[in-house]
Amino acid sequence: MRDIPGLPSRRGFLKASAATAAIAGIAVPAKAEQKPEPVALTEYKPDCLKPSEWVFVMAAVARLIPSDGDGPGAIETRVPVFIDKQLAGDYGKASDWYMVGPYQPAASPLRGWQTPLSPLEIYQQAIPLFDDWCKTTHGKIFAELDAETQDKALTSLQKDEMKIKPELREFFGILLANTKEGYFSDPMYGGNHGMAAWKYIGFPGARGSYKEWVGKHNVKYPLGPVSISGERG
Amino acid sequence: MKKLIRVLGVLVVLGIIALLAFIFVPVQRTGPVTQLAADFKPAKGQGEYVMRAGDCMACHTNEGGKPFAGGRAIQSPMGTIWTTNITPDKETGIGNWSLDDFRAALYDGVAPNGTHLYPAMPYENYRKLTEEDVVALYDYFMHEVQPVSNKVEETKLSFPFNMRFGLRAWNWLAASYQAGFKPEEGQDEQFNRGKYLVEGAAHCAACHSPRTLFMSQDGIDSSSKAFLTGGEIDGYTAPDLRGPESGPQKWTTEQTAAYLATARNAHSSATGEMMLVVRDSLQYLTHEDNMAIATYLKKIGTAPADASAAAAKPEVTETEKLLTDAKADMPLGPRLYLDNCAACHIVNGKGAGETFPELDGNSLVTAKSPKGLISVILHGAELPSTADRPMKLRMQGYDQRLSDEEVAALATFLRQGWHNKAPSVSAAQVKAVREAATH
Repeated sequence: MRDIPGLPSRRGFLKASAATAAIAGIAVPAKAEQKPEPVALTEYKPDCLKPSEWVFVMAAVARLIPSDGDGPGAIETRVPVFIDKQLAGDYGKASDWYMVGPYQPAASPLRGWQTPLSPLEIYQQAIPLFDDWCKTTHGKIFAELDAETQDKALTSLQKDEMKIKPELREFFGILLANTKEGYFSDPMYGGNHGMAAWKYIGFPGARGSYKEWVGKHNVKYPLGPVSISGERG
Repeated sequence: MKKLIRVLGVLVVLGIIALLAFIFVPVQRTGPVTQLAADFKPAKGQGEYVMRAGDCMACHTNEGGKPFAGGRAIQSPMGTIWTTNITPDKETGIGNWSLDDFRAALYDGVAPNGTHLYPAMPYENYRKLTEEDVVALYDYFMHEVQPVSNKVEETKLSFPFNMRFGLRAWNWLAASYQAGFKPEEGQDEQFNRGKYLVEGAAHCAACHSPRTLFMSQDGIDSSSKAFLTGGEIDGYTAPDLRGPESGPQKWTTEQTAAYLATARNAHSSATGEMMLVVRDSLQYLTHEDNMAIATYLKKIGTAPADASAAAAKPEVTETEKLLTDAKADMPLGPRLYLDNCAACHIVNGKGAGETFPELDGNSLVTAKSPKGLISVILHGAELPSTADRPMKLRMQGYDQRLSDEEVAALATFLRQGWHNKAPSVSAAQVKAVREAATH
C-alpha cells in the first residue's frame, strides 16, 4: 500500500490533487482511493511456491471461489498471492506452533494437527501426488482439466478417495481454509484485493466504531470499507 | 582641532575601559534574601521536593544517563546547549561549590568562575526561590545526590552567542528584579503558594510566556499582561493559560489539578513537553500544591463568558451531523476522521474523560503552530504512568497509514471542526514534521 519512497506515483499525484482541492475548500468526495494496480497474477513472482505449485494453487482456488458467481472470485481478489505469502511466512513454517513429537498422523482428526509436516511442506508434497492422481484418473494434471472435471477431482480429494497418506490428510482442509482467509482477510496480507470481498458482503472494514448507528434501524450504512493500512473502498 | 582629537581620544579610552570592565569585572552576586538562623536545617525531603518542582532532572540528566550527570543536548535557535553535571562530583560536577556559588547560579545565572550561564537554565524564574528552598536544594545536591564523574561536552554556540559576557547586558533586562518571593497582598495563602510555584521553581513562564525581542520571558509574574499567555518552544506552541478559551480557565480547579498530577482530566491530556513535565515534575507535588497552582492560574486569568450557558444546553454541531450521516461523498478530512479517529474521539469530538482527549476546543488541536497536532497524528502519544493514574494510555501513530496530504486534510478538518477555528494545514508542513523525526 505504500508508495515507493522518492518515486512519484499515480496514487500520490491523485491524492495530492484531491487534498489540495480539499484544502482549497472544494469538497472532493473521499470515496474512491486510487492506487496503482499490482503486478498481474501471471507475472507474479511467488515468494515460496515453485512454478508447478503456483499453477495448481491458481487453478484450485479458482474452483473453490469461482469468478462466474455474483461476487468476485478468488482470482480477482488475488487469493493465490495471499496463500504464497502465508506459506512463505510463519504460518507456512508452523514457526509458532508446537511442532515437537510424538506425532500420530493416523490419530483421529479430532486430535488436531498430528502430522510432523508444516503447512508449506504439505502443499509441497501433496500437490505432485494429487497431480499424478489426476493424470492417472482423468488423463491430465489438475490445472489442465476442464472446470467440471476439476470440481470432481477436488471432491475426490475432499472425500480422500485417493487415500492420501495420513501425514498429508490436512491438505484439502488447509487449502480450502487458506482460500477463504485470503478472500476475506485484510488486503495488507495480499488477498482481498481492493477489499472486493468486503464490499461484496457489505463488511465496512477496520473502522472501529459505529456507535452513532446503533439506533438507526433499516438504514443502509453508506460508507465503503477501510483497511488496516488505511485503504478506502 | 587638537582639542577635539584629544576629547575623542579620551572618549575612546573610556569606551575601551568600559568594555573591558563589562567583560572582566566580576558580576555582583546576589546574596541571601533572608538571613536564616545559623542552625537552619531544611525539613527532611524539602530539597528533593524543590528539585521536583524545579524539574532539574529533566534537563540535567541525559537519556539513559545517571541522574543529574548532565550531557543532555538542548536545541536552541543559537545552537546546541549541553547541560552540565550537577552531581556533587568534585572534578566534573558541583562538588566544590559553596552555597553562595550555588545561589548565584540559581539567582544570577553565573558560575563560580564568573562565566555566565546560558538562559536555557531558567534563572529568570529560579531567582524567585526563597532562601529556605535554596538552602534545601543545595543540601539535597550536596548530600543526597550520588556524585558521578562525567565530563560533559562544552557548549559552543556560534558567534556572537559564544561571547558569554554579552549575557551580562541581557541579564539587566531579564534577571535584574529583586530576588526572592514577595506574596501578593490581599490574596490568601493558597493563591500565593500557587504563585510561588508557578513563577518560581516550576518556571512555567519559560515555555508558556511569549518572548520579548531580546528573547527574555515577556513577563515573569502576573503583573505583566503577557505572562503565561502562550509561547513557543522548538516550533511547538505552548498554550495560553490565562485567556477565556484556555484550559485552566475553562476547567474547574480540580480538573486542572488532575491534569497537572496525572497528565489527564475530564477534557484533555498532556502531550509532548508537558507530558514530560507531569512525568518528571508535577506528579510529585502534593495535591494541595497542584490545587494551589490551579487556583492561582484561575485567578490571574479571564473566565469564559458563557460558561454556564454552554454547559446547560447540549448542542449538535454541523461537524457532528456530517460525521453521523457518513455520506459517501463527504470530503476527505471528515472521512479520514471516521476511518481513523472516531472510534475513540467520537463524532462529537468529545472523546472520553481521562482516557481519550476532547478535540473540540483542544489547545493542541487549535494551537497557533500545527506542529504538535501533526506530530501526534504521525507518531501518536503516550500518557505517563503517575501515582494517581498508573495506566500508560497510548495512542498509536499514523505515519504508516496516512500520507502527508491525508494528514494535512485530517488536521485541517480537526482545526476547523466542531467549534474549532484555526488555519488550515498544508502537506508541506506535515512533510517537515515527518522528516524532522527521521533525522
